Amino acid sequence: MVQAIPVVTRADPTATRSALSEGYLSQPVVMAHASYGALRAVGTLDLEGLTLDRGELSTGGYGEGYVDRRHPHAYVHELLVGGQAARGGFDGSIFVGRGFAPFGSDDPMMRPFEKFPVNHHLAQVLERVVAVAALRRGPIVGEFATFDGDEPLMPSSSPNLRRFGDSWAARLTALPATGIEVSASIARVASPEVRVGQGLDQHKASGVARFSRETESSWRYALLEYARTVEYDKAESINTLSSMLGEAAYCRAGVIVAARVERTDRPEEEQLLDPFRTPRPANDLSNLGVSRWTILTGSVSAPRGHMGFVSGRPFVEVARLAVGAGTPAGIFNPELRYGASHMWMLSAGVRLRAGAAHTRMGRYGSADADMSMHGAGAEAGAGTVSPKPESDRMPEMPGMSREQTHSGGMSGHSRNSRCSI
Amino acid sequence: MQHMRILILAVSALAASAVAACTGDSSSPPPPETLTPASCPGINLGARPAPLSISTPTPTVLHVFGNGPDTLRYTAEIAVRGTTAYTTTWNVRRVQGNKVNIWDVSGNVPLLVDSLILSGAITTDDVALSDDGKLLVVATEPAPGSIGIFDLADPRHPVLLTRFTNDQTMPGIHTVKLGRVNGKLYGFLSVDPVGDVKARLVIVDLSTPSAPKQVFVKIAGSPYVHDTFPRDGLLFVALWNDGMDIWDIGGCGTGATPENPRQIGNVKTLGGEVHNIWWYHDPAGSKRFAFVGEEGSGSIGSSSRGDIHVVDVSDPTAPKEVAFYNVPGAGTHNFSVDESDGVLYAAYYNGGVRALDIRGDLASCSASQKKTDPATNLSRCDLRLMGREIGVGLTDVGRSVYVWGVQYVNGTVYASDMLNGIWKLGAAK
Repeated sequence: MVQAIPVVTRADPTATRSALSEGYLSQPVVMAHASYGALRAVGTLDLEGLTLDRGELSTGGYGEGYVDRRHPHAYVHELLVGGQAARGGFDGSIFVGRGFAPFGSDDPMMRPFEKFPVNHHLAQVLERVVAVAALRRGPIVGEFATFDGDEPLMPSSSPNLRRFGDSWAARLTALPATGIEVSASIARVASPEVRVGQGLDQHKASGVARFSRETESSWRYALLEYARTVEYDKAESINTLSSMLGEAAYCRAGVIVAARVERTDRPEEEQLLDPFRTPRPANDLSNLGVSRWTILTGSVSAPRGHMGFVSGRPFVEVARLAVGAGTPAGIFNPELRYGASHMWMLSAGVRLRAGAAHTRMGRYGSADADMSMHGAGAEAGAGTVSPKPESDRMPEMPGMSREQTHSGGMSGHSRNSRCSI
Repeated sequence: MQHMRILILAVSALAASAVAACTGDSSSPPPPETLTPASCPGINLGARPAPLSISTPTPTVLHVFGNGPDTLRYTAEIAVRGTTAYTTTWNVRRVQGNKVNIWDVSGNVPLLVDSLILSGAITTDDVALSDDGKLLVVATEPAPGSIGIFDLADPRHPVLLTRFTNDQTMPGIHTVKLGRVNGKLYGFLSVDPVGDVKARLVIVDLSTPSAPKQVFVKIAGSPYVHDTFPRDGLLFVALWNDGMDIWDIGGCGTGATPENPRQIGNVKTLGGEVHNIWWYHDPAGSKRFAFVGEEGSGSIGSSSRGDIHVVDVSDPTAPKEVAFYNVPGAGTHNFSVDESDGVLYAAYYNGGVRALDIRGDLASCSASQKKTDPATNLSRCDLRLMGREIGVGLTDVGRSVYVWGVQYVNGTVYASDMLNGIWKLGAAK
């Protein structure tokens, strides 16, 4: 699958203390997966390093040396190989490579909005060299992984392999009914922001409830998330950063209407001469305080149009942002930073796609309903996936409802439907 | 010959005792004692100071004479000579910290008389004055990082001689300290890390100030090197979690130079995060103690953490931590010492300014004045329990302060406050 989103964004105001409009090609990714017997491979090539070097205008966003712009992701967003087997009612897998730690919610790229939420660095742990094991029995999935704590320095940077194993994450997921998924996860991430180590460590926790159900003509989706990161200087807790997020989408006749509300704490850092950049690493372990962001985002996207093997889904997205001092306030002052405490962001673009998209991102093998094998997952008839694929409408599956097809996870890892994002 | 030498020493000692007894002054200094470590024979660390018992006083509130505000920029470091003070500026408030403010501090209220703009800087981090008062040197961040070297023929209106920058000053110079070794002036630059590139210590020959010459570079610190303290041909280096190094840069008489330094010793103080150092020379000639500032994490304007650690450097090859000072809810930053009265002034961010009596043997205290770290089992004297906190400043000014630096000059203490500019305070003694 190949995807790219030409998008124009206007942020009013933003870190320049004025309105700014920009356009670029966002989320240009190539996704692939393969299997051979029990062997599996997953890969996502992310080319944002070529199209978004300055970052994507996204007031409130932060991380990896960017602020009020979303940073470009690593070229090798995911590249994992693994094995998966089912026996005695258990479905187990082990994957190794660069990708997601089993923590928090799905990559925002796989969700109904173009703009990432502010909580990306509180709610996902990604682009690490990870060894992740998953075991599923019926409606319960457990995952554990060890990985390197360091975040990428830039799209082309390789992980610090010497730090492999200094961090870990675990996630427990319950699939109580069709279309419903509830998970809790914790992680200990060593010095994510100082690549050589000895920066602040993070103790992370997350709780996520996800609902996704599709019928012949519609898709209903909702996600509730709480994420918390406590930063530690050696054994002493320094900052607590929390996020509450709720988002929902409804699709009918190919039109997707979505809304998201988020309240997230952001640690404030020194800025460079470019107000959208921060030193990497920071010059010491202090911050400038914590800001608290409350953001309401609405999105409408038109039905996907097709031109040959490429399809396009036009969308508009509007966000109203409010920011104030968090705890501790430090020296953060929205009037000084932005010239205002309330802001707008308006984005318009087209999701271009060729091929069928991965429906989830951040789960591997037995933990991914799409990849799970016949045994446990299928028997359970539970779990959630993203919108239904056109490719699921296959005559070789008579008698199975589409919902069953999805839930059973036998339909493959990629999908493409009228309601797919 | 040997017998004759012993006899002379014995007679001398007897005579000295007799003189002391005749004067009846039991507090007169003991005869000079020498300690020249084998690792550094060129340095005389002097006598171990006598233990000093102080009844725990209520700390004096340092009198505030006045404030020179700067609300456009955050204020950073301070340097004062005579009646002129220089304060640097940090990051972005309403405008970026590319400025050095020059203050007339002859009156109670500091008056802004001029300023310098260093183009391309977002922070003018550190400021240093040469010992002869002829040069002002300012460190800048971010990339490419530089030091601005100014002529002080007119101290109120410095003139730029040159900006020194090269590939080794990337991405910014966090601090610059000046020191003279064998008559030649050097700058000691602590350079920030960036990405995969580690922090460095750069030494620059400033004997021709308009044409600085880099003479030494070394990767240093884990992950930061934040400051240095050059004195008497030794260089104390603050290496964050690698602790404090002592380098011979010419003082030991063993051939080391700033161009070719030699590491003598290292100590990892409790908690690491070694940020700044002051090697104390007391009036009696003792040079046994160095003071180490720990810069823990905090939120600028709100909170900070980090203790002052006292290190006994009697054996420079094996310095050891012997005492500490803690302020609950606040952390230390830079120091200035009134050496004649034995008072250390410490900037304490949200804790204002603290004055500590550092006379006497700080390694000697009663059992009740000691605390043992449970993780390392290291037992240290607690300066607070020893009654050494003798002054507190800027905690009563009716507004939040966040004090970056202090300087003691002739009975007056000057403090640079990130939020409020420059303060002029009375000394603790």
